[in-house]
Amino acid sequence: MAAFTQSNSPAIVTIKSLTKRFGDGPVILEGIDLSVQRDEFVSFIGPSGCGKSTLLRLIAGLTLITAGSIVVDGMTPENAREAMFFVFQEANLMPWRRVAENVELPLLLRGDAKDRRAERVAQMLEIVGLSSAAEKYPWQLSGGMKMRVSIARALSVAPRILLLDEPFGALDEMTRDKLNEDLLNLREQSPFTAFFVTHSVTEAVFLSSRIVVLSANPGRIATIVDVPFPYPRTAELRERPEFLQLLATTARALRAVRT
Amino acid sequence: MLPALAGVLLVGLWFLIPKALDIPVFVLPSPSDVLRAGWNERSVLMSAALITMRGAALGFIAAVGVGFLISMALGFSPRIKASFYPYILVLQMMPVTILAPVFVLWLGQGLPSIVAITFMIGFFPVVANTTMGFISVDRGLRELLLMCKATRSQELRYLRIPGAMPYFLTGMKIAGTLAPIGAIVGDFLAGSAQNGIGGIGFMTIAYFSQLRTPELFATGFVACVLGFIFVGSVNWLHWRLLHSWHESMVKKE
Repeated sequence: MAAFTQSNSPAIVTIKSLTKRFGDGPVILEGIDLSVQRDEFVSFIGPSGCGKSTLLRLIAGLTLITAGSIVVDGMTPENAREAMFFVFQEANLMPWRRVAENVELPLLLRGDAKDRRAERVAQMLEIVGLSSAAEKYPWQLSGGMKMRVSIARALSVAPRILLLDEPFGALDEMTRDKLNEDLLNLREQSPFTAFFVTHSVTEAVFLSSRIVVLSANPGRIATIVDVPFPYPRTAELRERPEFLQLLATTARALRAVRT
Repeated sequence: MLPALAGVLLVGLWFLIPKALDIPVFVLPSPSDVLRAGWNERSVLMSAALITMRGAALGFIAAVGVGFLISMALGFSPRIKASFYPYILVLQMMPVTILAPVFVLWLGQGLPSIVAITFMIGFFPVVANTTMGFISVDRGLRELLLMCKATRSQELRYLRIPGAMPYFLTGMKIAGTLAPIGAIVGDFLAGSAQNGIGGIGFMTIAYFSQLRTPELFATGFVACVLGFIFVGSVNWLHWRLLHSWHESMVKKE
């Protein structure tokens, strides 16, 4: 890991003077410039309405660019989808498919053979600790379990880039902490570049290698906070003084854009 | 227990009233008259029930099948829906009693006309509900499939059809309650007989014209049982397809 420190490696995502507005509405994002190296973990944080979710959706190609450019892996976002996967705010599971079938879906759509799918699904469920729930339907799961399924599904195709839009926002703090640790563990096992939208400063500092603080109306990059703690990170990092120090720095940066 | 008591009470009243008021049998037969008539006519009524059942089942299958395909087309693009939906409404508003002679003219007296009439009655609830299902696709799941680079046919197969299922099955349930009625009405308007035996609607007319009121009542009860069997099977199918995952079925712990 820690490949992000090699600043000479080519960027996997490059955003240049990006602007976004919906129709004749207000400008949501303006003048966004950002270059992200392979295997970085970048968090977007900022007040409501700063366009952080929109920025994520732009990188995924789920919404169109108004001006400027985004290059993902040398391609337009739409063409680079094969390399990416999206974890939505809601778990977004298909209620009529069992847990294993939900995890299987992206592999199925991609056209993987049946045994390969079964093998990969079993492996993913094992990793997220849900092997025993494979035959359950989504309604039988708790919020945290649903999110695990959603993450297992996203990682089943081993994407090089994972985009996460406030995936743990609806969960209680204990579950969220646990899932944060699990997410980093998963990344140790199969590395990916992560873009992570969140409201939680703690979460952002714990997970990220860089935190992009956005200001609102229109959304601009206000500050970028570098997080120097090496990976792999463990739960006890949260109690270390330098962690708390950085938490305070980030909170201050966030307060500065709140007005 | 309570329904059984109420049943005894109602049948008892029915038994007493014609006797007490001295009402003639052809106006209001007593339960014993009806039972006797039903037993004597059992083979005729059985055949009539089977004939009506066949009409109801075929009309129902046609309504459900054609309704599903049309809904899929309407759900496919808002433009197709906007263009054709008004005409489906017009068709629905046209009373089936007026269409019946037209069907007889085209298809002749008998089963094909009865099926067509049943179809006309059951078709609209299927289309109305299923179209709604095809249109209200979960946006998050659509974006998920977009990220998976799913093709249109994959989207149809893995998202739109299963997502429309609960709506479709609701439409199917309504069509199921209408189908036996449709078949009887169809039989009434377009039925024919072989060796004096037709469907339930046809027998109703036959008994009525001979003032065989007990047989008429017995026919009514047969129609009732028929309706229960039909609706019961459709409800079973509905439960069968949804009970494992759908909210309407599962969250009763």
